[in-house]
Amino acid sequence: MEILSDKLELIRMSISFFIPELILSIGILLIILIGLIKKDNLTILSFFSLGILVLSLWFGIIQIRQHVLPINLFVGMIRVDGFSGYLKILIDIGTLLTVLMTWRKQREQKHLPEYYALILAVVLGAHLLVMSMNLIMVFLSLELISISSYLLAGFSFSRKGSEGSLKYFLFGSVASAVMLYGFSLLYGLTGSLDFSSFMHHQMVKDQPLFLIGGFMALVGFFYKIAAAPLHPWSPDVYEAAPMPIVAFFSVVPKLAGIGILSKFILTVNIMGQSAYPWQIIICIVAILSLTVGNFSALWQKNVKRLMAYSSIAQSGFLLVGVATFLPQGIHYMLFYATAYMIMNYLVFIYLQQFESCGMHEISSFAGIGRSQPLSSLFLLIGLVALIGLPPTAGFMGKFFIFSSLWESYQLSGQPILLWLFIFGLLNAVVSLFYYLRIPYYSFIKSGESNIKTNILTFENLLGLILVIGVLYLFFNPGLLMGWINKINFAL
Amino acid sequence: MQQYLISLLIFTPLIAALLGIFIPAKLVPYFKALTLFANILQVFFLFQIFNSYESNGTIQLIEKQSWITINMGSLGILKAEYFVGLDGLNLPLVALSVVVLLIATISSWTIDKNVKGYFLLLLLLNAAIIGSFTALDFLLFYLFFEFMLLPMFFLIAMWGGARREYASIKFFLYTLVGSIFILIVMIALYLSVSDPSEPGRLVHSFNMLNMADSTRFISNTILDPHNTWMIGPFPARYCAFLLLFFGFAIKLPMVPLHTWLPDAHVEAPTPISVILAALLLKIGGYGLLRIAFPIFPDAAMHFSWFVGLMGVISIIYGGLNALACKDLKRLIAYSSISHMGFVLLGLASLTTEGVAGSVYQMVSHGIISAMLFLIAGVLYDRTHDRTIENYSGLSTKMQSYTVIVVVAFFGSMGLPGFSGFIAEIMVFLGAFKSNSVNGLLHESLAIVATLGLVLGAAYYLWTLQRMFFGPFHLKGGILESSIVDLNKREYIMLIPLVIAAIFFGIIPQPLMDIIDPFAKHFSEFVINSGKSLTLNP
Repeated sequence: MEILSDKLELIRMSISFFIPELILSIGILLIILIGLIKKDNLTILSFFSLGILVLSLWFGIIQIRQHVLPINLFVGMIRVDGFSGYLKILIDIGTLLTVLMTWRKQREQKHLPEYYALILAVVLGAHLLVMSMNLIMVFLSLELISISSYLLAGFSFSRKGSEGSLKYFLFGSVASAVMLYGFSLLYGLTGSLDFSSFMHHQMVKDQPLFLIGGFMALVGFFYKIAAAPLHPWSPDVYEAAPMPIVAFFSVVPKLAGIGILSKFILTVNIMGQSAYPWQIIICIVAILSLTVGNFSALWQKNVKRLMAYSSIAQSGFLLVGVATFLPQGIHYMLFYATAYMIMNYLVFIYLQQFESCGMHEISSFAGIGRSQPLSSLFLLIGLVALIGLPPTAGFMGKFFIFSSLWESYQLSGQPILLWLFIFGLLNAVVSLFYYLRIPYYSFIKSGESNIKTNILTFENLLGLILVIGVLYLFFNPGLLMGWINKINFAL
Repeated sequence: MQQYLISLLIFTPLIAALLGIFIPAKLVPYFKALTLFANILQVFFLFQIFNSYESNGTIQLIEKQSWITINMGSLGILKAEYFVGLDGLNLPLVALSVVVLLIATISSWTIDKNVKGYFLLLLLLNAAIIGSFTALDFLLFYLFFEFMLLPMFFLIAMWGGARREYASIKFFLYTLVGSIFILIVMIALYLSVSDPSEPGRLVHSFNMLNMADSTRFISNTILDPHNTWMIGPFPARYCAFLLLFFGFAIKLPMVPLHTWLPDAHVEAPTPISVILAALLLKIGGYGLLRIAFPIFPDAAMHFSWFVGLMGVISIIYGGLNALACKDLKRLIAYSSISHMGFVLLGLASLTTEGVAGSVYQMVSHGIISAMLFLIAGVLYDRTHDRTIENYSGLSTKMQSYTVIVVVAFFGSMGLPGFSGFIAEIMVFLGAFKSNSVNGLLHESLAIVATLGLVLGAAYYLWTLQRMFFGPFHLKGGILESSIVDLNKREYIMLIPLVIAAIFFGIIPQPLMDIIDPFAKHFSEFVINSGKSLTLNP
C-alpha cells in the first residue's frame, strides 16, 4: 500500500511539470467540441488552436527557465530536461506557424476542427517523444505522431492525397513493426525498458544481438526524420498534402525524431565505450541522406516534391550534428534545427502564397519576380539560407555543425568523419543547383503573370519577421548559442 | 574619420543600396546618380587613405571590433571579429577596385532594363569586393567572398547576352565549389589555432595574421605543423594547402579550372565583364598571397614548382586559345587567363621580385583588362556583333578608337612603356632568380613562359591587322552607319585607364614603393618559416 501511495504521490508531483502537455490534451478535446457546436465559425477554431499553442509555448518557456536540472517524471517514463524543453519550444513555434498558414486559407480546408485536433495530437506526440526515457513511451508517442500524420497527409481529400496517405501508412507501419521488434530484442537482452539504464548492462557491450536490436530501433527513428534509405514515402506524401501540412511534416515530426534519435544513440554508445560502430551507422545514413536527397531533387519539376527531397537532405545535415557524438555537436544541431525551422517556414509561406495563384510546377514561377518582387525576394532569401550561403542562418548552422564534426574527427581520427565532412560540404554545391531553380524562373525567365501586386499582406509581414530571424542568426548567433549552451545535456 | 576610413569605403555602397530600396523604380536617373555619388565618395575616401598611409611594410588603418563571440564549452571560445586593414598587398588592389567600379558605373549608363535592380546589385557587389580585399578576419573575408556570388550571378543572368543562363549558372557552380574548398580549410584552421588575446583561455579566432604564425597552432591538432597527421597518404597540411590553392585558382582562373571564364565574359554585359576581369579574378590571386601561402609556408614551398608549372601552362594555353578565338571578347577573356598565369609564376618563385611582379601584374592587368573589355563593349554597343572577321579597316572610320585599341593591345602584350611590361619583367626576373636563390623553380619555366609574350604579340597584332587595318569593309549584315567614333562618355571611361597604363609603365616607382615592402617581407617570411617547419617537423 505504501509503495502505491508513494507512486501516486510521485505522479501527483509530476503533474506540475506536465502542464504544456496537459494543455495540449485538453485543447485537442475542446477543439473537437467547439467544432461540433460552432461548425461555421472557422476563425474561432484557428484562434483557439493558436491560443492553445501559445499557452503550451508559454509554459514550456517557463519550464526551461526554471528547471536547469533534469527531472524524471511518472516513475521514469519521461524526463523534463533542457534538451527536450528546447525542442518542445521549437515544435510549438513550428506548429504556430503552421496554424497561421492554415488560417490564411481556412476556407479552402475541409473538416477544419478535425484538422486542428490532429495537428495538436501530433504536437502532443512530439512533446512526449522528445521527453521519453522508456521504450514503451517512445513507441506510444511515436505512434501518436504517426497515426495522426497518416490522417493529415490525406487532408486534401483528393485521389492523390489518399494515395499518399496510404503509402505513408504502409511504409510507416512496417517501420514501426521493425522498431518494435528491435525494442523487444533490447528488452529481452537487458530486462529493462528504460534505455538510460542500458549502459549498466554488460550485454550492451559485447552482445551482437544488441547491435541488431539497436539498429532496428534506429530504423523507426530514421523513418520519422525521412533519412535515406527510409525516405521514399516523403515525396509522394508531400506532393499530395496541403501546403501547411507539408511545412509541418518537414519540421515537427523531424525535430521530434532527431531528438529521440540523439538521446537513444548517445545512450547506447555509452560515451564511446560501446563495441559497436554506432558512429559509422549514423555517418553512413547522413551521407546517404545528403547525397540521395540532393541528387534526387535535381530532377524535380514539382515544387512540393523538390522540397521533400530538400528536407531529406536537410535531415542529413541534422544527422551530422548527431554523428559527432559530442555534447557540442548536439548543441550545434539544436542551432541548426532552429535555423532550419525558420528558413523552411519562410520558404513554405511563400510557396503557399504562390500555390494559391495556381503555381505547382517550378516552370510556372516564370516572371513572378517582376510582378511580385518582395515575395520573390523573401523566397530567394529563404532558399539561399537553405543552400547555406552567407549572410544567412543556414550558413552559420552548417558552419557550426561542421566545426564540431571536424573537432570530432580530430579527437577520434575516424576516416568516415572526414568523408562526411567533405561530402556534406560539397553537397551544398549540388543543392545550389535545385534551390536556385525557383528564383531562376522567377527572376530570369521571362513569363507573363497577372497576379495583383499587394505588398502589405499578412504573408509579407510574417515573411519579414522570418527574414529578420534568418539574417539575425547570421550576424549575431551568439545570443541563441548562449541560450543553447545553457542546456545541460546530461544523460 | 581617420580611423574609420576602410569602413567608410565598405559601407558607403551598402548605405546607398539601402537608400535605393526606398526609391520608386520609375525614377531611373536617381539610381544612376546614387551609384555614381557612392563611387565618388569612395574616391574621396581613397584619397584620404593615401594621405594617411605610410609605406613601411606594416598593416595600417586597422579597425577591430568584436563580432561573434561564442563560448563553446570544452572547445574554448569562438571569436570572429570585424577586422580590416591595409598593407602593400591590398592597398593597390583597393585603389584599383575603387577606380574600376567608378568606371563600371559610368559604363552602366546605357542599361535600360530594370535599372533599379541593376544598380542595387552593383552597389552590393561593390561593397563585397572592397570588403574581401580589406578583411583580415577569415570569417569576414569568407562572408564578403561568398556574398559576391549572388549579385554577380544575377547581374550576368538578368542583363547578359543570349546564353546568359548557362554562363551564370556555370560561373556560380564553379566559384561555389572553390569557396566550399576554402570553407573546409577555414573550419579546420580556426579550430587548430589559439588566439593570445585573452590569456588563460582557449580562444579560436579567425585572425589571419594569427593563423600565419606557426607557433599559434595548438599542439596535436590536425593542422599543427609539428604534427604528422596524414589524410590518406598525404600530410594534412599539404591537403589543406592544395584545397586553398584550388579554391582560389578557380577564381583566378588557372587552366584547367578556367572554363567558366570565357562563357561568363562573353555573356556578361560590358560593365560586369570589366568588374569580373579587373577585380574578381584578382581576389583569387589575393587569396593565395594573403591566406594560402603565409598560413601554409611549408606546403607552399613544397608545391611551388607545381604552382609555377600551372602558371606557365595557363600562360601558354590561354595564349594558344586566344589565337584561335573568333569572338573579340572571348579572345580578351583567354588573354586574361594567360596574364593571370604570370601572377602564379611570380608568386611561385617566392623571391621579392617575383612577388612584387605578381602584385604589380594584378594591378596592371586590372587596368588593361578593364580597358580591353570596355573596347569590346564600345564595338558591341554599335553593331551588336563581336566577330573579328566581320570587320576590316576600322581605323579609317574610328581614328580615336583605334588609337586607344592600339594602346590597350600593346599594353596587354607587355611592350616597354606600359604597366604590363614592368610587371612581366619582374615576374621573369623572379622566376629566373628562384633557382639560384631558393631553388624552388627551374629556369626552364621562365624560358617557356616567355613564349607567352610571343603568343600575346601574335594574337594582338593579328587582330589589329584583321580588324583595324587594310581596306574598310564589313560583313555579317553590319550597317556602315553604325560605325561611329567614340562619344564623350566613352572618352571619360577610357582616357583615365590609358593614362594609368602608361603612367605605371613609365614611372613604376610610386606603386612599387607601396608593393615592395610587402613583397620583401612576404617572400622572406614564407621562405624562412617554410624552411624552419620543413626542417623540424
